Amino acid sequence: MVRARIITALLLCAVPALQLFGADFSTLKLSQRVTDLTGTLSPEEVITLESTLTEFEQATSTQLVVVLIPTTEGLPVEQVALAIAEGNGIGGKEKDNGVLLLIATGDRLVRIEVGYGLEGALTDVLSGQIIRREIIPHFREGRHYEGIRAGIDAIILATKNEYQAGPEPDEFLSMLPFIIIFITTLLIFFAQARAHRRGGFFGGPGWVYHTGGRGGSSWSGGGSGGGFSGGGGSFGGGGASGRW
Amino acid sequence: MKSRGVLIALIVIGLIVVFVLAAVLYGIGVYNSLVSHDEKVQAAWSQVESQYQRRADLIPNLVETVKGFAAQEREVLLGVTEARARVSQLTVTREVLEDPAAFARFQQVQDRFTSAISRLLAVAENYPNLKSNENFLALQNQLEGTENRIAVERMRYNDTVRGYNTAIRRFPASTIAGMTGFREKQYFQAKEGAEEAPRVTF
Repeated sequence: MVRARIITALLLCAVPALQLFGADFSTLKLSQRVTDLTGTLSPEEVITLESTLTEFEQATSTQLVVVLIPTTEGLPVEQVALAIAEGNGIGGKEKDNGVLLLIATGDRLVRIEVGYGLEGALTDVLSGQIIRREIIPHFREGRHYEGIRAGIDAIILATKNEYQAGPEPDEFLSMLPFIIIFITTLLIFFAQARAHRRGGFFGGPGWVYHTGGRGGSSWSGGGSGGGFSGGGGSFGGGGASGRW
Repeated sequence: MKSRGVLIALIVIGLIVVFVLAAVLYGIGVYNSLVSHDEKVQAAWSQVESQYQRRADLIPNLVETVKGFAAQEREVLLGVTEARARVSQLTVTREVLEDPAAFARFQQVQDRFTSAISRLLAVAENYPNLKSNENFLALQNQLEGTENRIAVERMRYNDTVRGYNTAIRRFPASTIAGMTGFREKQYFQAKEGAEEAPRVTF
């Protein structure tokens, strides 16, 4: 009886997260740098991405945020990305150095929304190239984590003016390299999991885990010492979109 | 007696003076806030203009690139060039923002330019070499980004106009607005038909 009530309560907690965004997603508040509302990424993948993005912010003050939603509900992806980015004030108030990587998995839309301050380094052209060359090739194969990973790495390089776009992907290119990378990544995860289980799986950046539970992809994450909050950065509509 | 009469008169005059002073100070405050609203509208407007200009600046390069692969599409290329020329002839003064006909004309010229660009991009779909050309892809990215920025700045402009129009229509600010020449400004209207920027999917 009690258990049923607890389960119901937990389920009810999940529902608001999916429904109460307002018509234009402006009420979608982010408490983490990686927010997966589609269940596409595993908790380990979310944690890995979170730590990369946190380190990046600590090193450069640039706030790079990833959000996965099931659908844009008929709205242009540009409008949704801007609403989420501005609604959360991603990036610093003075520098406007925020970037949002938005993926609508059901609609197969992806957008990189770039704050005013980064438009010089992460130009529309670069954003478009990153989407075409780094993200979409993986997404087409259903490899969302790899696509996001590649996209984030490229965005980080671009903000340091170091991104070199390779040639446009050839559709007939062999998939073998990606398979090898994918298997290697899996092996590394398993090795890490085994190694860390003794010292606690969450030996890494301490801030995530002060909330006393798995930070992971929990929607209501934020809490003492952890979490993410925007610095009040603004956006002008720069960036690029793509679909796969 | 006489001194009491003078005293009352002085008090009344004093009250009138105080009242007039208060009214004048209030009026100045209202006027200044209307000026602030107006400046916000002008600032938002210049953002809109600079994004429209940015778009116009991309077009010569786009036309040359397309010509390199599809020179035979003369009509479409000419259409874009002419539309751009018409856009560059537009001059916008403060009065245009208040004149419905002039503002509508501005929007119409820009929208026709958007359509001409869309037609050019649609035609480019038929040329695979053009579609995969690095320069063309880069220009396309820039165009899409600029169209998006135009949409964002138009939205923000409309927000500042809303604030301004509300301020000048409210009473008693409306009287001061009428006396000092603040008139309602125009909104950008949503386009009939496709709201989406000209875009090619990969």
